[in-house]
Amino acid sequence: MTTLLAEAELVESHAILPGQWIGSFHAPHVASGARAGQFVHLRDPDPTTELLRRSVPLNTADPSTGIVTLQVRSGAIGRLRAGDRVGLVGPFGRPFEIDPRSRHLLLIATGLGIAALRMLADEAVRDGRQVTLLFGAPAARDVYPSSLLPDEVEYAVATADGSLGHHGPVTDLVPAYEAWADQAFAAGPTPLLAQLARHAAGRRERMGVANLGRKRGGGRPEPAGSTSARRKAFLQVALDQPVGCAAATCLGCAVLGAGGVPLRTCREGPVFAAGELDWDAVS
Amino acid sequence: MKAKKRVVTAGPQTPTRRTPTVRRVKSAIVPAVRRPASAPSGRACDAGAPPPLGSVARPSVDLAVDLGRGLVLANPLVAASGPFGYGVEVADAVDLGRIGALVTRGTTVRARAGASPPRMAPTPSGIVHALGYQNPGVDAVIARHEPTWGSWSVPVVVNVCGESAGEIVEVVRRLEGLAGVAAVELNLGCPNAARGGSPFTVDPDAAASLVAAVRRTWDRCLIAKLSPGAADIRSVARAAVSAGADAISAIGGVAALAVGGPGSGAVLTGPAIRPIALRVVYEIVGAVGVPVVAYGGVAALDHVLDFLAVGAVAVGVGTAALAEPALPVRLAGELEDVVAARGLASYRDLVGIARR
Repeated sequence: MTTLLAEAELVESHAILPGQWIGSFHAPHVASGARAGQFVHLRDPDPTTELLRRSVPLNTADPSTGIVTLQVRSGAIGRLRAGDRVGLVGPFGRPFEIDPRSRHLLLIATGLGIAALRMLADEAVRDGRQVTLLFGAPAARDVYPSSLLPDEVEYAVATADGSLGHHGPVTDLVPAYEAWADQAFAAGPTPLLAQLARHAAGRRERMGVANLGRKRGGGRPEPAGSTSARRKAFLQVALDQPVGCAAATCLGCAVLGAGGVPLRTCREGPVFAAGELDWDAVS
Repeated sequence: MKAKKRVVTAGPQTPTRRTPTVRRVKSAIVPAVRRPASAPSGRACDAGAPPPLGSVARPSVDLAVDLGRGLVLANPLVAASGPFGYGVEVADAVDLGRIGALVTRGTTVRARAGASPPRMAPTPSGIVHALGYQNPGVDAVIARHEPTWGSWSVPVVVNVCGESAGEIVEVVRRLEGLAGVAAVELNLGCPNAARGGSPFTVDPDAAASLVAAVRRTWDRCLIAKLSPGAADIRSVARAAVSAGADAISAIGGVAALAVGGPGSGAVLTGPAIRPIALRVVYEIVGAVGVPVVAYGGVAALDHVLDFLAVGAVAVGVGTAALAEPALPVRLAGELEDVVAARGLASYRDLVGIARR
């Protein structure tokens, strides 16, 4: 088991948005084998402000250099200087699963949710898929800089005050891309994810599209929650829940699955197929 | 280069790296950790043998503590109920043989799915949480974990919950006679359906009748866990002891609320409640003559020494272990060093020094 006291050194950090930083940490134990959607557990240097470790999605991970980048909000972590060491363990949880047949990926995020999708965009572009990112923010000053995204990504923005892009919530943009997309991936506040999940649940009927993975007239359905079932799901979401222990022990991060079965964000998640969760209980 | 990349179809390009799947998860739960041969072969609780010392304990330093009816802890550091699950989840990250006792997650008669999310809300120096007593039910717990517990040198204390005295007694009845269970800890912070959901711990009569009912079926060590909230916690502690509790533990979480956070039944734990816990433990120690196990925001050796100073004989680590699971092991080592450095024969010389 990975040592739970592993540390990482901050190599550099820079502000990207008001109150948000991207920090690069030298953490070879995390970078090797990490995949998009997984998260790390970061210990605040000042435990009186934050008692628990903070779960932070991996922004990027480079196994060759051992550098992982994390997008974090303010707090003691935002005040770290290059050279400081911080408790950093991971990666935890299960990643996003892209269906090998998917050519068009729709990514939907608001605020810090983009941190969970950034690595997925990199992977998808590298694999030659077409990626569209829909991003929602309160105002233009909070919009994720397009310079931080791969050039190949089509980027559409919605702001609540109309100062940039579409005037309204990001969910307004979804119908225009819904037919184009083979798969969708979302991260952000739980109410947004619930809204997207409810919308996606009726997609097959609206679009009249075939269900991926049912080529030979059906066959046994994949067990819910399995990697293969998730790979075939149209919508996958990365839940943002406080994670207590990240060792699947404390049950503080559990959410309720569609069958009333508790699912741990740190172990069965943080990525779920939208149909796996009981959205009335979750949001 | 870019164009070349784009013509290739997605299929063969899909990374084939190993993914951390559920299978990897299971392997972390299964193995039972065998203690080294230096650990005592008999279980600490069911032998009148001399108190077993941890494998690293120096012979000159006595850390053992007797909680009653033969439950002897090798040292006074206890893994509190919750963060350690049933022990097996953390067995490969924490050297359980070097803590005094392991208290399990709260266990009920039937399986419970637990509360809806969010279950936790971090607050300054604490967390507000409501897990809704998620657990697989006592029968499943026994089937899955009891044989493993029996192979450990650390005594396992099962924390018992229920919505009525009848449910709690039923859980204890099923634990009867199992070699892997050294003691039970009754969570008197549970809502008592017979009193409109008001917890047992705020009512001396309800506490006494529950403890008495369990006492009739359980002949090993019985620990009553109290939470703050009673008008006079001393009367509740006295009632529990006169009904047959061998030891008192305190405190459970303090009833709390976070807007947008967990729902009903939420409690606050962590360093924020430590001063409250110190006061409650101080009062209980003054009211009863049985051993008292202290819980409440312990995160460092100074906190352990504070609780010992007000009269607790053992100290549990809970919330702080979420960030550092091996914290009770580290604190046990630090306590031993302090006792040795001060030239004391036993850590018990540190117990109650703030009361004199």
